[in-house]
Amino acid sequence: MYKWLDERLDLTGLYHKVLRKAFPVHHSFFLGEITLFAFVVLVLTGVFLTLNFEPSIREVKLPDGRTVPAAYASVLYIDSLPFGAVIRSLHHWSAHVMIAAAFLHMLRILLTGAYKKPRELNYLVGLALLGLAVVTAFTGYALPYDNYAVTATRIGYGIANSIPWIGGALAQVMFGGEFPGSTHSIPRLFSLHVLWLPLLLMALIGGHLAIMVKQKHTQPRYAEKVAPGKILGVPMYPQQMVMMIILFALYVGIMTIIAGAFLAHPIEAFGPPTPNTPAVKPDWYFLWIYGILQIIPSSWEFHLFGATIGPEFIGGAVVPGLLALIGLLLPFVDTRKDKMRYLELPSEHPVRTSAILSLLVFFLMSTLAGYKIDFQQQGSLLGNNAVLWTLVLGGPLLTFFLSYTLMRIFYGKAREEKAF
Amino acid sequence: MDEREIRLRTSRRRLFLKTAIGTGIGLSLVSAFYVGASLRPREEVTPEKEPLKPGDILVYAQGGGEPKPIRPEELKPGDPFLLAYPMDPKTKVVKSGEAKNTVLVVRYAPKELAPEVAQHGVEGIVAYSAVCTHLGCIISQWAADKKAALCPCHGGTYDLKAGAKVIAGPPPRPVPQLPLKVENGVLVAAGEFLGEVGVKAEAGFCRHV
Repeated sequence: MYKWLDERLDLTGLYHKVLRKAFPVHHSFFLGEITLFAFVVLVLTGVFLTLNFEPSIREVKLPDGRTVPAAYASVLYIDSLPFGAVIRSLHHWSAHVMIAAAFLHMLRILLTGAYKKPRELNYLVGLALLGLAVVTAFTGYALPYDNYAVTATRIGYGIANSIPWIGGALAQVMFGGEFPGSTHSIPRLFSLHVLWLPLLLMALIGGHLAIMVKQKHTQPRYAEKVAPGKILGVPMYPQQMVMMIILFALYVGIMTIIAGAFLAHPIEAFGPPTPNTPAVKPDWYFLWIYGILQIIPSSWEFHLFGATIGPEFIGGAVVPGLLALIGLLLPFVDTRKDKMRYLELPSEHPVRTSAILSLLVFFLMSTLAGYKIDFQQQGSLLGNNAVLWTLVLGGPLLTFFLSYTLMRIFYGKAREEKAF
Repeated sequence: MDEREIRLRTSRRRLFLKTAIGTGIGLSLVSAFYVGASLRPREEVTPEKEPLKPGDILVYAQGGGEPKPIRPEELKPGDPFLLAYPMDPKTKVVKSGEAKNTVLVVRYAPKELAPEVAQHGVEGIVAYSAVCTHLGCIISQWAADKKAALCPCHGGTYDLKAGAKVIAGPPPRPVPQLPLKVENGVLVAAGEFLGEVGVKAEAGFCRHV
């Protein structure tokens, strides 16, 4: 049988050419794979969800007599199917894992300097993937059309609308008219969420992997000592393949247990949209933006060329936009002349490592600011704007100097010339 | 320059190819504009999405069932505000399809109110747009300690006694007031909102039908 196929498809040639490709090994290299597995599970569960989801807000009657939007009713129907709620939860939690794994994957790249020559392009593709993954998650948020989802999406609509000059047009195109209210919103968000953005993600993921294969993966430092000038790793088949299959199977198994134990987004409890705004908190990956929105005072508004630049634009778009811009420019500022083959050690680059740590502290502190209302209601000191501002700005600065000083003490000045 | 290159330069085959490619790209770009144009949503105004008009009766937004007009005696000073929708007095259609029609109604003791606020109210009852000017959430919580309205999305707090002045949180401006009057024992809008409702958006992009 193998012989028959081999004569026609040249399987042996394929094996020697492709399947013997060496994969460098380090546990942090699995973060990208976990992102990919989460995406695969998202596509599979998403396809299942489309079978029963109705992208419409026309009013339908439930068996118990309530009149609710059709999208809400169809998600209730999905939840009532055997394991329907588990599959919906698996979809929801996998989206969280995909974004978390992609973020950690990016941190690994940043900490080890893997964005440098020749991998600048693939780093940019990776940033685009992270951004797109977040946007895709956001477009899916409104689909169940419960009170919580509608309120959260309404904030996103407000932020899009607040972008000067083009915001109105952008929000109209993305949300298909005014959100909430327009009957075209849910069909359009549905199309974006299940067709346009996933196809774009697939294309970019394909490109990301193809560039990685072409440029070869970076190797851990020990590879330089063991086999200088060569690629040290396990072959794609069978070792790497086995590891990937185990990891994927573990991912599906563990996530299914989580999805079965913790139902995501209980729309029955949130109820259909009413004028009574629930106290919403966005998902954790938006909490830092949410926190910044809360501590920017209303007085930060000025006018420029006929457009209004308001606090919601500064908090919701300018701050994340600036971070994205720094991310985009990084490989062109922090450069090296030769082609990188081995990972740089974070301890050898105190400035970069400290900057990344202070970025993390910034995210944590602005996430903390997201709980401002709760702190105020408890009468905590953290409900105070000035305290929160001190934490958001002072925390990262303090972290930077502390980390830089400590790294200098522990790792010495011997490598000063490599300092950045 | 070898002979082949000279022949290529003088030949018109290259020119033909370039013209063909250019025309192709040009025409396909022009046709792409049609796709772009249909991305723009078309707003259909159904009766329940009509904007609020003077003379509309205010009805309870919550509670379900038959629309129930709000009577002044049902409001007490110090009570949390109510959310309301306008109802067309002739067709009895509740205009709840448009979020910007959501109104909040509250009663204070008349002497608590600033005079410029009281003049648009009735017996201490005042109404405002319930759409937060920050990011468009519906202001739905009552901060009892401050006797103010709180938007739960980002903590914007409006002092309804003083023309909905922003006393905490990020909203850039107050929510506009709605003049009230009483007709046949129920609350009725006496005019339009006294300012722009909701998030200040860029110039209208929607095609209205």
